[in-house]
Amino acid sequence: MLQIINLSFAVDNQEGTESKTILDKFNYSFERGKYYCITGPNGSGKTTLAKTIMGINTLSSGQIIFDGVDVTQHSITDRANAGIAYSFQNPARFKGLSFRQLLSIAAQTEDESTLLQIIARVGICSLDFLDKQVDSKLSGGEIKKIELATTIARNPKLAIYDEPDTGIDLWTIGPMINLLKKEQKDHQTTTIVVSHNKNFLEAADVILILKDGQFVYEGGIDGAMPMLTDLKSCEASDFCEGENDVRCFR
Amino acid sequence: MLDALDKDLLKAVAGLEKIPKGAYNIRKNGKLLGRQTSANINIETNEEGTGIVITIAPNTKNESVHIPVILSKAGLHDVVYNSFIVGENADVTIIAGCGIHCGGDEKEGHEGIHKFIIHPNARMTYIEKHYAFGSGKGKRTLNPTTQVVLKENAHAEMILEQIGGVDIAKRINEANLDDGASLLIKENVLTESNQIAESHNDIRLNGRDSSANLVARSVLKGDSKQDFIAVIEAHNKCYGHIECDAIIMDNATSDTIPSLKARHPEAELTHEASIGKIADDQLMKLMSLGLTYDEAVNRIIQGFLKAT
Repeated sequence: MLQIINLSFAVDNQEGTESKTILDKFNYSFERGKYYCITGPNGSGKTTLAKTIMGINTLSSGQIIFDGVDVTQHSITDRANAGIAYSFQNPARFKGLSFRQLLSIAAQTEDESTLLQIIARVGICSLDFLDKQVDSKLSGGEIKKIELATTIARNPKLAIYDEPDTGIDLWTIGPMINLLKKEQKDHQTTTIVVSHNKNFLEAADVILILKDGQFVYEGGIDGAMPMLTDLKSCEASDFCEGENDVRCFR
Repeated sequence: MLDALDKDLLKAVAGLEKIPKGAYNIRKNGKLLGRQTSANINIETNEEGTGIVITIAPNTKNESVHIPVILSKAGLHDVVYNSFIVGENADVTIIAGCGIHCGGDEKEGHEGIHKFIIHPNARMTYIEKHYAFGSGKGKRTLNPTTQVVLKENAHAEMILEQIGGVDIAKRINEANLDDGASLLIKENVLTESNQIAESHNDIRLNGRDSSANLVARSVLKGDSKQDFIAVIEAHNKCYGHIECDAIIMDNATSDTIPSLKARHPEAELTHEASIGKIADDQLMKLMSLGLTYDEAVNRIIQGFLKAT
């Protein structure tokens, strides 16, 4: 249902002289109704890939085919209306928008009973969330729950969740995974979760390990764990000179 | 009594579909269109004949007064001096506002100088909306002034909105607060094309434990310009806060100058100010929920102006 063909994405270096390639001639086909978990070290291109599918990042070259339609040149809005939904890693905060209003935009209705049904369906947001302002006063966990609810309210064919567990308390992660699995089962939602969390990995039909802009593994949890343990040697390569540098104590 | 144009203007500035219940004073094109007093709220023309005096009896609860002004006569510049006396322990809402319809090329304008005395323990909510429309090219000017005296433990909440169509606006808000008094000003201004809006705020915290909170939101489009100047001067143990945020678009320009003057060692004064374009992450989020770019911008601006 989602084909990524020869996708490349590069960003300009700070000096502006050379560009840095994040994804290089990347190819993959996601199947309808499956739950994928994309993981990999920091800076490997996970969020870049997810944002490029949603149209937030503009690809350098390649094609994205969604439900048989070439959406490569489509705007974020057009992709959203075609059935792709995206749950941001760091959700936006607004001065003057409540959860009710955000949910109404997502669900395209202001009908109270419909909104309450969505909250019941999501489960992890309490009803008193509805009139909360989606502003800087919300905790990290609260805004992530709201983000998840607005994604599900879209009834997407393809739902992308970028690190959905950030800021979420431990006892909510289980219900959150159950929710994503239920959405997958009940609505045949193709689900892509970007996460480092083992619980999300274990729940996935397919684990994809991204490293240096390419999938280096596709399969189940058993095969993934040894590779992930190996990759753990340095998770801070963004900030220091990398795992092979003798000065790195991480 | 009210024609269709009058009704449109009244609806925009005072939320009125028809003549309101309770006390009201409606002024049209510089003349009295209608007045109604109530048992607790008296309205009379001042001695000079230049405005009205509204007297709210002590202990009046849950009553409101509507005093809208509408202008639809080219070339008219209407100036009024209104006084409001809110009695002890009263709790009232005053809905003012000016609507201008400009159909010609001559300028039209209104200047309202409103003086308030809020007596001890009284609470007042004051809502003032400004709106102008019409196909005429005449400049529409609105220059409102509010001067507020808050006695001991009195509270005022002032919601001041300029929602569109006004070419030139110069607002002056002045307030003096006694012991325990509190003031909340929420100001929302939207300007576009070549419009100019100035807002000068001068708040003096004289009383012990008095407090003032000034929250301003501005949206600037086109080539418009807004200046926002706010001064809180503290002369006692008190609390004051200024929060002014602006969303700036196109070629608009904004000067925002919050100023805190502490004249007492126990004064506690803070401010936060920001000017910037609409954040990309907000636009991306709303577009990912199916809104177009323009719809997302409008939604963010609407919310921002109502956030105060």
